[in-house]
Amino acid sequence: MSTFVEFQNVRKVYKTGELEIEALHDVSFEIGKGEFCVIVGASGAGKTTILNILGGMDTLTSGSAWLDGTEISSYNKKQLTAYRRYDVGFVFQFYNLVQNLTAKENVELAAQICRDPLDAETVLRQVGLGERMKNFPAQLSGGEQQRVAIARALAKNPKLLLCDEPTGALDYNTGKSVLALLQDTCRKKGMTVVVITHNSALAAMADRIITVKSGTIESMRLNDNIVDVADIEW
Amino acid sequence: MRYSMLRRTTLREIKGSFGRFLAILSIIALGVGFFTGVRGTTPAMKHTVNNFLQEKQFFDYRLISTLGWEEANLEAFRSQPDVRAAEGSHTIDVLCVDDAEHEFTFKTHTILQNINLLELTEGRMPEASDECIIDAGMGLGLSIGDKIYISDQNEDDTKDSFLHDAYTIVGAAHSSYYLNFERGTTSLGNGSVSGYLYLPPDAYDLDYYSEIFVRFDQDDMIYSKAYKNAMDDRQTFWEELTQEQADARYDRIVREAEEELQDGRDELEEKRAEGLSELHDAIRELGDGKRELADAAKELADAEEQLNDAKRQLEDAAKELEDAAKELEDGQAQLDDGKKTLDDSKAQLDAAAQTLADSEAQLNAGQAQLDAARAEVDSQESLLLTQEQQLDAQEAELNDSLPYLEMLPPEQQEQIRGGLAAIAEGRAQIGAARAQIGSGRQELAAQQAVIDAGRAQLATGRAEYEQGLAAYNDGLRTYEDSVKQLADGKAKYEQGLLDYENVRQEYEDGLQKYEDGKQEYEDGVREYEDGWKEYLDGRAEFDEKIADAEADIAEAEQEIADIAHPDTFVLDRSTNIGYACFESDSEIVEQVARVFPLFFILVAALVCMTTMSRMVEEQRTQIGTLKALGYSEGRIMGKFAFYAGSAAVIGCVLGFSVGSVLFPSVIWMSYQLMYIPLKLVYVFDPLMAVLALAASLLCSIGTTWLSCRIELNTTAAGLMRPKAPKAGKRIFLEYLPFLWNRLKFLHKVSIRNIFRYKGRFFMMIVGIGGCTALLVTGFGLRDSVSDFAQVQYNEIVVADAQMSFKNGLGSKLPAKLEAQMEELTDEYLLLHQTTLDLVTKDKTKGMNLIVPFETADFSHYMHLHTMDGEPLTFPANNEAYISNSIHDRFNVQLGDTITLRNEEMQEVHVKVTGIFENHVYNYVLLTPETLRGQLGETPSLNGAYLNFAPDADSYQIQAALSRSDDVTNVTLFEELQTRMAKMMSSLDYIVLLVIACAAGLAFIVLYNLTNINITERIREIATIKVLGFFRSETEAYVLRENLVLTAFGILAGLGLGVLLHRFVISQIIVDLVSFKVQILPLSFVWSVLLTFGFNLLVNLVMGLKLDRINMAESLKSVD
Repeated sequence: MSTFVEFQNVRKVYKTGELEIEALHDVSFEIGKGEFCVIVGASGAGKTTILNILGGMDTLTSGSAWLDGTEISSYNKKQLTAYRRYDVGFVFQFYNLVQNLTAKENVELAAQICRDPLDAETVLRQVGLGERMKNFPAQLSGGEQQRVAIARALAKNPKLLLCDEPTGALDYNTGKSVLALLQDTCRKKGMTVVVITHNSALAAMADRIITVKSGTIESMRLNDNIVDVADIEW
Repeated sequence: MRYSMLRRTTLREIKGSFGRFLAILSIIALGVGFFTGVRGTTPAMKHTVNNFLQEKQFFDYRLISTLGWEEANLEAFRSQPDVRAAEGSHTIDVLCVDDAEHEFTFKTHTILQNINLLELTEGRMPEASDECIIDAGMGLGLSIGDKIYISDQNEDDTKDSFLHDAYTIVGAAHSSYYLNFERGTTSLGNGSVSGYLYLPPDAYDLDYYSEIFVRFDQDDMIYSKAYKNAMDDRQTFWEELTQEQADARYDRIVREAEEELQDGRDELEEKRAEGLSELHDAIRELGDGKRELADAAKELADAEEQLNDAKRQLEDAAKELEDAAKELEDGQAQLDDGKKTLDDSKAQLDAAAQTLADSEAQLNAGQAQLDAARAEVDSQESLLLTQEQQLDAQEAELNDSLPYLEMLPPEQQEQIRGGLAAIAEGRAQIGAARAQIGSGRQELAAQQAVIDAGRAQLATGRAEYEQGLAAYNDGLRTYEDSVKQLADGKAKYEQGLLDYENVRQEYEDGLQKYEDGKQEYEDGVREYEDGWKEYLDGRAEFDEKIADAEADIAEAEQEIADIAHPDTFVLDRSTNIGYACFESDSEIVEQVARVFPLFFILVAALVCMTTMSRMVEEQRTQIGTLKALGYSEGRIMGKFAFYAGSAAVIGCVLGFSVGSVLFPSVIWMSYQLMYIPLKLVYVFDPLMAVLALAASLLCSIGTTWLSCRIELNTTAAGLMRPKAPKAGKRIFLEYLPFLWNRLKFLHKVSIRNIFRYKGRFFMMIVGIGGCTALLVTGFGLRDSVSDFAQVQYNEIVVADAQMSFKNGLGSKLPAKLEAQMEELTDEYLLLHQTTLDLVTKDKTKGMNLIVPFETADFSHYMHLHTMDGEPLTFPANNEAYISNSIHDRFNVQLGDTITLRNEEMQEVHVKVTGIFENHVYNYVLLTPETLRGQLGETPSLNGAYLNFAPDADSYQIQAALSRSDDVTNVTLFEELQTRMAKMMSSLDYIVLLVIACAAGLAFIVLYNLTNINITERIREIATIKVLGFFRSETEAYVLRENLVLTAFGILAGLGLGVLLHRFVISQIIVDLVSFKVQILPLSFVWSVLLTFGFNLLVNLVMGLKLDRINMAESLKSVD
């Protein structure tokens, strides 16, 4: 499998006044196209920083980051925005739906700014929300909201789907179904999916497992024994 | 400190959300500033004026009696217990000129010692009676040291009132008596007063006061209830007192006048007797003169007689002399003739003698000749004898010879024959000669006879001559005697002539003497006649004088009878124009003050409310934590209360201190147009401060309490759970698919957001609407203010100029001026202009009266139309048209009868039949007949409206007409318009202030709302940023709402602005000017643009803030 995402010796330092905090150092990894990758690590290990850099929401201090052969770490602010817009889909822990938009509208919100969006209703039907398209987020359960969020990310038809603790705010079963949806998406659409979580149990379902600890990569391995989501327990 | 941590977190909170803190602070500051500023303006203005009027001891009563006042009255008033000061004063309207021949109409006043004091702006107070203080407020162009002359055009009474003819200006002053620049009315000139003139009391030559000013022993605030009540209590008493005093003066005047009249009568009688006796003496003297003249005439007649005799004698003598001369002449002539005869005789004699002598000589000669001839004849005879002898001898010889003869030769025979023939011949010849001698002898004898006859004749001639000579000698002797006689006669004649001349001389002398006498006589006669005439004149004069005196006395009697019982007027301060105007003018601000602050406080409350409820919402978890930690609700509430309260207190202090200085000073500045410059006294009103503080605390803490109340009642656990986000909701628009479906997706989002928070929507409408309304009002104010002059002088007064004439033109233009006006103007309208007081129940106010002599073409000069645009013509007799300002301010309605009063207190009553649009001055239009009918005199010609030809140079015409001696001034309306507009432009300050406040309001509201909006939706914004919205898209996503809300606000604000503008205009009453309630389209455009401008400015700031939102926010949990 060809390398789709690549981090090379990435270092990230946060400056807060006098204080310098090294969030990442010497982070190097790669993810193949169409892989389902789980980045796992404890709180404060630096996985969110990786997500931020990978998602084009933050810049790195040194090193380089690549997506599909393009160095995203060299992008300026505007290019980063375009990158987020066209290449990346986000799924947030707290769904981050716009409260006064219906499910469909939330999807459209993302879809309408893309070059080649998928039809909002189709995507929603795909995530199993064909009946709830006209509901406002407040009228949806957490799992449904997260599905809307996933639909919103998918509708953009991105190269990369980034998920930040997608099950963090969900109950066990709902979390499972959301994970199944993500895995399904990866498998069926050949979408490269990166899931960031502190829950190492999830690693079992991944093609690639990257473990982050204290701001650097502790290990990166391909999963030889991929477990179906339904069989994962945590 | 037990709660130090709580306090610390609060302080940190303030630091951390300084924008929000500032929003509360500024809206409170703005609200309080506006409130205290606008509220404080009227008191500050009133205090300023109050201080001035107290310092200058402004009068309480101005007492007027139609008879004037005297010292005794003054004393009586002064002795009233509550009177601080009472002073007599003169007020005289007088025409004056300066050295440059400029004309002024002044109201002169007396400089008082204790009342209505002056505020010197330059120079000094008068020290001499011919010095004066000039009006400092009217820009008269006079300076210290200039002289002002009492014009000759004044009536004698007026001229006599002044001690001097000229007064030197030694200072300029503002007078408390003239707070504003209205100088009242006058019957002089064109009715307008140039300014006042303050003269020292001794500058007047009057024995009475025209008015008495009274100042009571009080220092109540002007316009205050206390003052008004105190004055109401005094009124009846003072009215009675004043009338009483006036009556006393009346009695005194009448008594004195009667005494004086009696004196006059006595004097008349005395004078009459004196005069009569003088006349008698004169007539006696004339009688004597006449007699003397008669004698003289007689003498002259005698003398003339004598002279005539003498003349006659002289004439006789002259005649005699003439005769004598003639005789002498005749004698001479005769003598001359005699002499001539003599001479002729002599000549004849001489000729005769000559002739005699000649004849004798001839005779002698003839004798001699005869003698000679005789002698010759004798000689010849002798000769003949001889010859005969010889011949005889020869013959004898020859006869001798004859016998022989034949014997002799032939020849000798011939010779003897020839000789014998020649002797025969000789004998013949001697015989012939003897015959001849005989005839000669005969002739000689004849001749001898003739000679003898001649001789005889001669002898007779000689005898005759001798006789003639004797006669001649006798004649000569006689002639000589006659000559002698004549010479004697002549000598005698000469003597006579001499005598005659002497006598004549004597006569001439006599005649001369006579002539002289006659001359003398004639002189005497003339003298006598003159004397007579003089007498007659004297007599006539006497009669006349006596008649006059009698008439005077009769008149004086009538006058005394006519002295009306005096009318009195007790005029309080409200009759002083400046004082009265200031009350209403200063209340304008108070009126305006009633609306604006309420509005600002409403906005402030809304801002606080939304801000604080948002803050409480944000701090929900913290509240829960604090609650869980065991802090009491009060404490927790205290935190928010402190946050909001401290912002409010700082804002309040800031707003109070800035507002209560800025607003009064700006508004006062614009009032300086109309009132004398006084330094504004800022009033600190503790009550207002407390009120402002209370209001701001109520706004902040009250709203905080409202916001916290619900949250605090929730349990700690409930608080720590995230609050369910406010659910999305469909809006009504979505049920209109034909509209909704057409909207762009993002627009739908915005629209939904807009309706999501009703409170904010309302606040936005109020805030932005308020801003727009303020702007519309502000710009509209300027439109109304700047435009009224344009409307006035382009649409209503369409004449090009107005001119006023000198007094006393009567009703016709002088021919020269008329010709000039005909030439220079297109057309003109002659009119009478004056000022009359409109008398209503509670007010008296000067109105400008326009009385055109011709009413037909009045529309060429003034377009009269009602406020609704209905055209008006011209009032009929005893009717009036009034300008709308009179209608508005004095509540005069169509069909009302109004009372107009002139300076002499004569009244005109007219019915109002038209109200026309007019913005400058209060005009009343009447026909001349109305005035004539009601005042009894024909209104005089003193002004004109002019229209120029379209291409005429109006300034040149103005200059040309101004040069005329009969013209006092020519005003171009165009110039007036410019001046008026310039004057009003200082209202721009207020407009600017309003715009600044509007900007502040808009900015605070927009900033605050947007700020709340952003903080509240920070996750949403972060999310859409993560979704890849470009910066502009993100901004549009968030700020589009602002734009839409601003648009809504503007819509509401435009409507509100129109109402607000109307209200403000109705409150702003600048004297003599009524504004046009109008807002130009451009002002709406500007208001909208500016509001959008403020919006964009806020959006710009907010855009930066949006840009700074970290996308990592999207990853945070909901807290």
